[in-house]
Amino acid sequence: MPVQGIWSGTISFSLVAIPVRLVKAIEPGRVSFRLLHSKDYSPLSRRMLCPKEESMVPEDEIVRGFEIAPDQYIQLTDEELESVSPERSRTIEITEFIDREEVDPIYYDHPYYLVPSKGGEKAYHLLAEVMRRTNKAGLAKFVLAEREHLVALTSRDGALVLTTLHYHQDILPEEETPLKKGKVPPEERSRIKKSIEQRMKDFDPGKYANDRRKKLVELLAKKVKENAPVTAPVTGEAEGEGPADLVAALEESMRKLKENR
Amino acid sequence: MAGTTLWKGYVHFGDTDVPVRLRASVREERTQFHLLHKRDGARLRQQMVCAYEKKPVPGKEQTKGFELEEGKYLLIDPEEIEQTAPESSRMIEVHEFVKTGQVDSLLLDRLYYLEPDLADIRGPEFNALVKALEELHVAGICTWTMRKRSYLGALQVRGKTLRLSTLRYADELILPTSLNLQKVPLSDKELKIGMELLEKLTAPFAPEKFQNEHQEKLREMIAKKARGEKILILPPRRLEPTESDQLLQALEASLRKAA
Repeated sequence: MPVQGIWSGTISFSLVAIPVRLVKAIEPGRVSFRLLHSKDYSPLSRRMLCPKEESMVPEDEIVRGFEIAPDQYIQLTDEELESVSPERSRTIEITEFIDREEVDPIYYDHPYYLVPSKGGEKAYHLLAEVMRRTNKAGLAKFVLAEREHLVALTSRDGALVLTTLHYHQDILPEEETPLKKGKVPPEERSRIKKSIEQRMKDFDPGKYANDRRKKLVELLAKKVKENAPVTAPVTGEAEGEGPADLVAALEESMRKLKENR
Repeated sequence: MAGTTLWKGYVHFGDTDVPVRLRASVREERTQFHLLHKRDGARLRQQMVCAYEKKPVPGKEQTKGFELEEGKYLLIDPEEIEQTAPESSRMIEVHEFVKTGQVDSLLLDRLYYLEPDLADIRGPEFNALVKALEELHVAGICTWTMRKRSYLGALQVRGKTLRLSTLRYADELILPTSLNLQKVPLSDKELKIGMELLEKLTAPFAPEKFQNEHQEKLREMIAKKARGEKILILPPRRLEPTESDQLLQALEASLRKAA
């Protein structure tokens, strides 16, 4: 399986620089459906529509805007956006190392792998190996898709894992309730402990499956026996063609919008 | 400000039920951009377009299909998809307890605080659960349903706080072995100096000292542009990779620099 690169650049620590690519570590196991036009079964593509001209807008006519007042926007070009943090958009500079155990998992956001680019194999392997032996993680900041991330680099089975971390300022405080200070009667304590000990196992995450996906696959298996598939008309354009990064950015902002509700 | 309650229910195992509330542990704010039409500055709207007719398609003419092979779709009624959604429930069912060290950090997804549901708590069961998980160093592996989705999770204690992390399914994790990384021989000297260098560059983990500077600078740039000032275009910094035969020298020089 060829690994798709999300980003390419250089890791640096002190005077050592390692060319790398960022790749996925997680492949969401979703069963995905395609939106179709019920009249002709042609797949639908997401396009941007200009309400003023009532026309579809090609990618090179789209620009990002920040709303400073209702319906008043400041346009920013890609070059301007990249100029915000030029030192971090192509470099992951490890400014310090920490002991791995010190990181509270509450900071973990999303993991990726880094793989070496041509010529970087040896230095990459060295960094992975010395981090493994010392059980350390490297801390760095870098900018990915216009967001500056604090990241932890760790070593795992010879590979470098890059985990984005939440900023400390974004961690919500725990709630203090008087109940938490309450005493636990010894008999209740030993009852719960016993109940837990009876249910101790070795963790095998592989035995837990996504039930939803199983059901969807079953549904599809049933459908495929009952119905013949429909054929989409040939359009002459590659399927799903369109501004891929734009669509991803949109989905991301839609998701955020929903979450904030 | 503390987050609001996202969900209420019970942690259940054996004959124990603990009323709990789920709260977010993280809140992120980010600069939100909109997509504009360069020419007229109009804010763009997203529209589904028929790839064949090249025309906008209204919602009532949209249907769903699963692609069996290129251009061949099995039609699925969206209602049938809806029916596969899990039934709602108020129970976080703990299936087993495992040593906390066995929970792979790459599987950890979102983390929530689990607070006692004070409206419903009857006795000392919440505190007893926290104490027991802490003393035994275990995590409860559990499943629950929230907002029409089923989740796999790990119930853990850190400090005195009960936390619930959603876990990714094991088959969603890409294994490092699939990256086909080749081992490159390293000399003892390179390893020794590398480790020394890491020790020299080690500091205590102090997450509070890292701020999102980019966000600040981005806002400044927007303000500058709003005032009509010119934005200076800066190319991204690109570093020259260390050549393999220069690695030892680079490590030695780094060590001298760190000393």
